[in-house]
Amino acid sequence: MSTRVPDTSIYFAVTEGIRAEANRLLSAGEVTAIVGYTTGRRTGSSQPIIVTDADDTARLCFSVTSVNNLAVYLTKAKKEIPKNGKIGIVVKGCDLKALVGLMGESQLKREELYLIGVPCVGVLASTVQPSTELTAETIAPKCRECDAHLPSGCDFLPDVALPPLPQLDGKYTAEIARLEALTPAERWVYWKEQFAKCIKCYACRQVCPFCFCEQCLCDRNKPQMVDTTPRPSGNTAWHIVRAMHLAGRCAGCAECERVCPMDIPLNLLNRKMAKELKELFDYEAGLEVNDKGPLTMFTEKDDQSFIK
Amino acid sequence: MQKYISQQNLNTLLDKLIAKGTRVVAPRMNAGIPLYEPLESSAKMVTDQLPRRSAKEAFFPVCEEIMSYEKEGQQVKLTDVDPARFPETVLVGVRPCDAAAIPVLDAVFSWDYKDEFFLERRRKTTVIGLACTTADDACFCTAVGLSPAETRGSDLFLTPLDGGGYACESYSEKGEALIADNGELFSEPDNSMPLPLAVPQADKVDLKKVKRWLDEHFEDPLWDGIAVRCVGCGACAFVCPACHCFDIVDEGTEKAGKRRKSWDACGFWKFTHHASGHNPRDLQPKRYRNRIMHKFKYYDDKFGQTLCTGCGRCVRICPVGIDIAAIVDEINKK
Ligand code: SF4
Ligand code: SF4
Ligand code: SF4
Ligand code: SF4
Repeated sequence: MSTRVPDTSIYFAVTEGIRAEANRLLSAGEVTAIVGYTTGRRTGSSQPIIVTDADDTARLCFSVTSVNNLAVYLTKAKKEIPKNGKIGIVVKGCDLKALVGLMGESQLKREELYLIGVPCVGVLASTVQPSTELTAETIAPKCRECDAHLPSGCDFLPDVALPPLPQLDGKYTAEIARLEALTPAERWVYWKEQFAKCIKCYACRQVCPFCFCEQCLCDRNKPQMVDTTPRPSGNTAWHIVRAMHLAGRCAGCAECERVCPMDIPLNLLNRKMAKELKELFDYEAGLEVNDKGPLTMFTEKDDQSFIK
Repeated sequence: MQKYISQQNLNTLLDKLIAKGTRVVAPRMNAGIPLYEPLESSAKMVTDQLPRRSAKEAFFPVCEEIMSYEKEGQQVKLTDVDPARFPETVLVGVRPCDAAAIPVLDAVFSWDYKDEFFLERRRKTTVIGLACTTADDACFCTAVGLSPAETRGSDLFLTPLDGGGYACESYSEKGEALIADNGELFSEPDNSMPLPLAVPQADKVDLKKVKRWLDEHFEDPLWDGIAVRCVGCGACAFVCPACHCFDIVDEGTEKAGKRRKSWDACGFWKFTHHASGHNPRDLQPKRYRNRIMHKFKYYDDKFGQTLCTGCGRCVRICPVGIDIAAIVDEINKK
C-alpha cells in the first residue's frame, strides 16, 4: 500500500466546518447562495454545487476531488448564477488568487463575497480516476509547487490545523527549465505537436475565471479575427491569444490544463508567462488587489532597453 | 463464420494492409494520449486504453476541407473535394460503444441530405470491433442496452481469448471478404475460452420510459438543477461517438481560400446565436437540456434510435462533473 502523502484526514473536519458555516449563513440570511462542492455518483468524485437552502447544506463537501476553481461562477460570463446580494464561496488558496485578481479588475466587490477558506493539502491530478488515493504520484502538479495551502483574509476558516506537508519537487519548474534549454526550433516542434491535439472545445476558456469576455476574440466573425477551425493556424493563434491575454492575470489555478481533454500542458504557458513578468516587472498575480496589471500600465522602472 | 486469429497474425494482417496502401486506423498514442489514428506499423496499436476521442473521426474528421475557391478578376473558380480520393480504410481495435455509434450516425448522414464525405468514407471502411475486458465506473453501455461484447457496427468482431489471440466473428460481407482475402492468417477456432468481459456497474435503463418523460418535461426544474453549473464548452460533444453537429466556415483571403467543416457543439452559446442578436437558448441549462433531448428523445422521434452508447467519455471529461449516466438513471426512476 502506498503511504498517504500528504495526509488528507483533515478534509473530514473541513467538510464539517463548511457545512456548519454554510448552514448558519443561509439560515441567518447573511448570504443568498453558497457556491461549493458536493459528491458525485462516481466513487470519490465531487463537483460544483450552488446551495440556496439551509436544508441542503449537508450536501456540501470537500475532498481530494474538489478540484474546481469556483471563482468562475462569480464572473459575469456565468449569467445563470444570480448575483443578487452577498454570495458565499468555498475557496482554496489557489482559487483565492483568482478572486483577488477579479476584484482588481472590478469584476467583484469584496463586500459582496463571503469567503469560506479551505486549509488545503492538495487535490488529485486530472489524469487519475476520482477514486484514487492522494499520493506524491497522484497529486495535481500545481499542488507540488503550492504556496497557498492556507488562504488568507477569508471570512471563515474551519478550525483545523494543516498537517506537516511533504516537500515535492516542482514539475512545472523542471519542465519549463527543460523547454528553456531547447533551441527555438526544438521548442516549436514540441508546441506544434501539442497544439495539433487541440480540438477547439474551449473547455480551457470556459473554466477560466479570467476568460469572462462577453465575446472572445476567437469567437468573433464580424470580422473574423482568428481562424476558428481546429487546424494549425487557428490553434496556434488561439494558444497565443490565450497565453498573452492571461499574462499578469493568471495566478495558476491550472483549471485550463486540468480540463483539457487532450492533455495539452496549458499551465506551462501560463507559468512561463508568470515567470517572465516576475523577471521583467517584479510582478506576481493574485497576491493583492491591484487595479492595474503590469501589461496595462507603465512605470519609469519598466524595462526600456528596447527603445533605441 | 467464426475463426481464430493469433495476435501475431493480426499484426501481420495489419502490416500487410498498410504495405498495400490501405489506411489502417487504430488506437495509438499521440503526444501522450491514446487516439484513433492511422498506423504506420501494427506495433503502434495500443488496445488497453480507451481512446480519448471516439472512432467517429474515421468518417467525420475533426476538421475537413469540403471546397476551395480562387478569385481572378471577376472570375471565381470553385473546386470541389472529390470523395473518390478517400482511401480504403480498416478501422481496427474499435470499442463496442464506438462501433455501435457508427450505424447510429449512418441514419443522420444519409437522411434528407446524403453527406457524401461521411458516406464515402463509410463505404470504404471495414470496422473491426474488439470486446472490452476492462471498464471503469464511468462506463455505462449496459444501461443503454449495449454491452462490452456488443457487435453492432462491426464488420468483424474480436474477442480476446485466455490462451492469447482472438475469436473472430464476421457480421457482414466486408468482414467475410477480409477473412477470405487473408485466409492463411485465420484458422478454425480451438477450445480456448474468452477472457472474462468487463462488467460495467450501471443498471439497465428503460429508454422508452426516459423518452416518455422527456416528451412531457421540456420545462422542468431538473434542467436548472443539473446544468446551472455547466460551463458551456464543447468537450462533451467532441469526445462523444454519437454527437455529429458541425460548423462550416470559409477560411483564407479575399483571393483564395477553403471552405471547411469542423465539429460544433450545442453547449456553446454561439450555437444558437441568431444574426439578430437573439439567442433562444440564452442560458446554459437550456443548452444542456438540448443535449439530453437530442440524445434520448429527438433522435428517437426521428430515427428510432438513441444517440448515446454509454461510452462514458463525457462523464470522465466534463470539467464540472455533469454525469449523463446519473441523469438518465434519475429520469428512469421518476
Ligand atoms: S495549489 Fe495549493 S491550495 Fe490549490 S489545491 Fe493545490 S494544495 Fe490546495
Ligand atoms: S481544452 Fe484543450 S482541446 Fe479544448 S480548446 Fe482548450 S486546449 Fe484545445
Ligand atoms: S453522450 Fe456521453 S456516454 Fe453517451 S455516447 Fe456520448 S460521450 Fe458516450
Ligand atoms: S456538460 Fe460539461 S462538458 Fe458538456 S458543455 Fe457542460 S461543462 Fe462542458
